[in-house]
Amino acid sequence: MKELENQGKKQTTDSLSEIMNIDRLVHSPARLSILTYLSVVEEGDAVYLLNQTGLTWGNLSANVTRLQEAGYIEVVKEFKDKKPHTLLKLTNRGRKAFYDYQNKMKELLDIKSPSPGRDVE
Amino acid sequence: MDTLNEKKIERRVFTSFFQAGFIEAFTGIFLLQLGLPALFSRYGFGDWESALLTLPIALIMLIAVFLVRRFVVIPRLGHVKFLPERRRKVSKLIIVPILTLIAGAIVGYIFTENASLRHIFVGQIPFSLIPIIVFSAAAYFLDMKRLYVYGAIVGLVFPLGKYLETVIVSRNTLPATILFTAFVFLGIATVFLVAFLRKYHEPGV
Repeated sequence: MKELENQGKKQTTDSLSEIMNIDRLVHSPARLSILTYLSVVEEGDAVYLLNQTGLTWGNLSANVTRLQEAGYIEVVKEFKDKKPHTLLKLTNRGRKAFYDYQNKMKELLDIKSPSPGRDVE
Repeated sequence: MDTLNEKKIERRVFTSFFQAGFIEAFTGIFLLQLGLPALFSRYGFGDWESALLTLPIALIMLIAVFLVRRFVVIPRLGHVKFLPERRRKVSKLIIVPILTLIAGAIVGYIFTENASLRHIFVGQIPFSLIPIIVFSAAAYFLDMKRLYVYGAIVGLVFPLGKYLETVIVSRNTLPATILFTAFVFLGIATVFLVAFLRKYHEPGV
């Protein structure tokens, strides 16, 4: 019983330290959503992201700027039919960060630690 | 794409571009293209005359669909370039109708050349099989299960029309069946478009 508790504590401490190393830039729900929707296409414009993520213009713009500054997404501003048009694309760095985040979260959430009070009598 | 969820998200994003009723509109126009010449030919118009009368109607409707897509739907959904994997799948879809039509023409030639097989071929097999094959291929490559149902409906229209012609003795039964189905599809397309317009508004910058 004691041994199991210690094992559980050790795993919890390990996983907690891993949580601290998680990329916080990706971890935010809004940015995670932006990265997810950009990861499933080659490129998409701001209207596409606005519709899919459900964010407001201001929120989308702020989060896109942060991701762009980190080099996770590439933003191309152009004119289409005399109207401003913003195209967004996930960079290789951004794709790597997104998949690293996914893998890290999967590892963290898949830990098979005994749940005290349920599995241990 | 590594995870199942990403595949689901990609599929959802891709199918969202068809929620305004384009597939239903194209199906309706396709059926109109078959139903109207059949109707005209029953009123003494020749094959070429029937085709010439039908073509402008279909062209106007197709142009209308493309204009709605270009100026109404895309500004509301946004511009997206899908991953190469998806683009390859869509391009494969173009090959299927071409191969089906070539195969249909070859089979049709064999059947029409053989007098004993001619009665089976006329108006039955190709008109049922070709839509089923094309729609099933579209359902597979576009990841849209509802296209299997559409294929079955379009495939059944011709045998049903022929059968009804024997029950209701009227020269208009077959074209009427095809045209009724065409208008049902066009009606569904309109409902989808209205629902789309109510859901999505053009975002102001």
